[in-house]
Amino acid sequence: MSDVRFLPGAREGHKSIPTTPAGGRVATTDARVWRKGWWIRSAVALGLWLAAFVLVVSAQGDVGIARDETVYMGHGTKYARWWLDTLGGKDGQVSEKGITASWGGKGATDNNREHPPLMKTAFGLSEIVLHDKLGVASEVTAYRVPTAAMFAWLVVVVFFWAAQVWGTATGVIAALATLFLPRAFFHAGLATFDAPIATLWVATMYAYWRSLRSPGWAIGAGVLFGLSLATKHNALLMPFALAPHFIYVVVRQLRAGQPLGRMWLVAPAMMLIGPLVLIALWPWLWFDTVAHVRDWLKFHMNHVHYNFEYLGENWNAPPFPWHVALVTTLFTVPAATLAAAAAGTGVWLRQAVKGEAPERETAPGLLLFLSAAVAMGPFFLGSTPIFGAEKHWAAAIPSLCIAAAVGAVWAARCAVAALHELRELWTHPHLELGAICVVGSLLVLPAAIETIHAQPRGLTHYNAIAGGAPGGADHGMNRQFWGESARGVLPFLRSRPPGPVYSHDASPAWGIYIRDKLLPPTMRDAGREEAGIAASRIALVIHELHFNRHDYLIWSAYRTTRPVFVLRVDGVPIVSVYERPR
Amino acid sequence: MKKLALGLAPIVVLAAVAVWSTCRITGAGAGVPGDAAWARASAAVRETHRPGDLIVFAPRWIDPVGRLHLGDLLPIEMAARMDADRYGVIWELGIRGARAPETRGLRPVWTGTFGGVEVRRFERVPAEVVSDLVAIAEAAPGRLQLGGLAARGPQVVLAEVGFEPHRCVQVVPSPGQEVTVTFPAVALGGELVGAVGLADVFTRRDVRTPIELIVQAGGKEVARATAGVDDGWVRWRGATTPGTADVTFVARAVGGAKARDRLVCFAAEARR
Repeated sequence: MSDVRFLPGAREGHKSIPTTPAGGRVATTDARVWRKGWWIRSAVALGLWLAAFVLVVSAQGDVGIARDETVYMGHGTKYARWWLDTLGGKDGQVSEKGITASWGGKGATDNNREHPPLMKTAFGLSEIVLHDKLGVASEVTAYRVPTAAMFAWLVVVVFFWAAQVWGTATGVIAALATLFLPRAFFHAGLATFDAPIATLWVATMYAYWRSLRSPGWAIGAGVLFGLSLATKHNALLMPFALAPHFIYVVVRQLRAGQPLGRMWLVAPAMMLIGPLVLIALWPWLWFDTVAHVRDWLKFHMNHVHYNFEYLGENWNAPPFPWHVALVTTLFTVPAATLAAAAAGTGVWLRQAVKGEAPERETAPGLLLFLSAAVAMGPFFLGSTPIFGAEKHWAAAIPSLCIAAAVGAVWAARCAVAALHELRELWTHPHLELGAICVVGSLLVLPAAIETIHAQPRGLTHYNAIAGGAPGGADHGMNRQFWGESARGVLPFLRSRPPGPVYSHDASPAWGIYIRDKLLPPTMRDAGREEAGIAASRIALVIHELHFNRHDYLIWSAYRTTRPVFVLRVDGVPIVSVYERPR
Repeated sequence: MKKLALGLAPIVVLAAVAVWSTCRITGAGAGVPGDAAWARASAAVRETHRPGDLIVFAPRWIDPVGRLHLGDLLPIEMAARMDADRYGVIWELGIRGARAPETRGLRPVWTGTFGGVEVRRFERVPAEVVSDLVAIAEAAPGRLQLGGLAARGPQVVLAEVGFEPHRCVQVVPSPGQEVTVTFPAVALGGELVGAVGLADVFTRRDVRTPIELIVQAGGKEVARATAGVDDGWVRWRGATTPGTADVTFVARAVGGAKARDRLVCFAAEARR
């Protein structure tokens, strides 16, 4: 394999391409095959993008509004209007005062300056265009569309990457495994940064990897790195995956006596273009740049430790358990995907030991491993806050999905090879494709069923290994966060006599629910904590371990321990509703 | 055949995982009894339940559903109890084979299963309470004598300690201060039993200093307990001489640390 020049996409969709049971494939330099393959891949990619986008946008309609979304929505609109006004020539916009009014301020969280602006700006523009101007989407859906589009893009990037290295079938299975991750699918429907940063992380890795063969991609890698930086601070970790990989590739190349060519271009491209893109997209960095960057990073280095339940204990201070990322991944990624990923990892390791790995020169398997390791890495330190769980290392999971696809295809080829040994009759040209379809279905269908089952309360979902939502509760795993599940009790509230509602953690979303006519205006938010409970006629408690105190505050005020309604997911209580006794 | 078996093994394993996981996920809800089962179980409890019978639910996470069906039989004082020792009859409603810690070591005198809700009735000789110091503090707060500098309290509150509800006397020593709360002329039995903990998850998070509680009866130390931020509701007990004596609680941050917001929450009962 090593003597065959890599040509991206040259090896898919052609029956004559030899393969090995271990998943290694032999490249071809046939330009016609490459072109034909390109169209097929593009059609598949388009189909995958559309399917992912439509599914996510459809599903998010039943998902409640997460606490953080309300912040990003409001500031997103502000940012978008600033850009529109600026591009429209409004005076004073780019002055220090004009920028500060929309993008910054003296406080660490003024105008949400602690988070980069790319996705917030996209949320705002989407809302202005799709809701305000065109009226084709509700306000909330319009805000969420950019995340859905980004997630669909992740599915496509995974497809292209896996297809280029391991073949089209592997690419399709990997893409579908990525689409049908219950937790990732849930986050893909929120106006937050977690799905977008996962997308941009993987896209940057992919562009970097492409640049090792095609230096032109270095520009793309730089731009994508900049977009990642402008999305979430996780992007700052990417060099810890890219640098060792780059060193490995360069050393390997030099040892083999092969010229580096212009491979090195990617390093300066990312170092220069990345920060420039970040600054270009973030007006707050247009003056006092160093101080503002320092403030941004300082905020996250000293981030408050939110409460989070894990294995039966509430964690809100370091040292955190080192195994959070491993156990949570083991409990949230569909079991079939995990099983196939274990097989795929074994295939990769065996190929690496035998020197049979595809694309040994650019080591995509190593890059995917480093990508996952670095995305999860901080959570092994014991000092990184664990709130938010898997969403904070979401960029690691596509590596798992690609490994799963490799494992599935390997399993199919093993079966075909075994059948071939049994009887010569089992040599039908489509037998391998059929076997891959069957095995791919064994991976994708359970994941799809699980993803559908998990909606719209995706944060309460746990996989079969955990025992589903009840198993997650038995294991003392976090049940939810962000207060979005309050959406599930709105139909019950509508059936009750009107009065102020203590909306607990859903308080920031309450006005939007009323605006969307999911609640009557007579059921306004009663306010916060004891004062809110005292002023309320109905009170909600969104169940997280550290929120138990809200039950007790309500007991004291209402003089009863009895809720009148308990919202459950697979029997697990997630929201209790109390009504003040008459 | 061996080659065939080995070749097919990966696909068989994957198929088995796929089927197992799908069944387990789609059937997860079936393993948790619904409202109909709870209604039947609660009807069974109501048939023979008497005021003062304790009701507990297991596992802990099903508690809201239990209270939805039987909350009217669970007054705040009972739900926020110091412990279960004073209750002679305990009704335990459990699902998925879970048991409540309050019934550990006890044998049920009656059991019934209602669509997955296992109901057990336990009977035992209850602890005989001579004086409930939380009740005393609630009924006559003016009787309490405060020594030292307190930022807040003492007062009777329903507090979250260790993520559980507890009615307790809460006092917040000023930073670096030692606070004493004295209950004058308390009727005592053979032992003084109690518990202490730090209330409020957020102040526990922000200030990590543990607290110490020293319990004196008639001027003599009978018990001492330390409660850290992750210790929850820490039990203590000490022997006393039956009769009447002043009972004093000394609360302070461990090591005299100048820790703020130490919401010291304690309860105590003098028992025969």
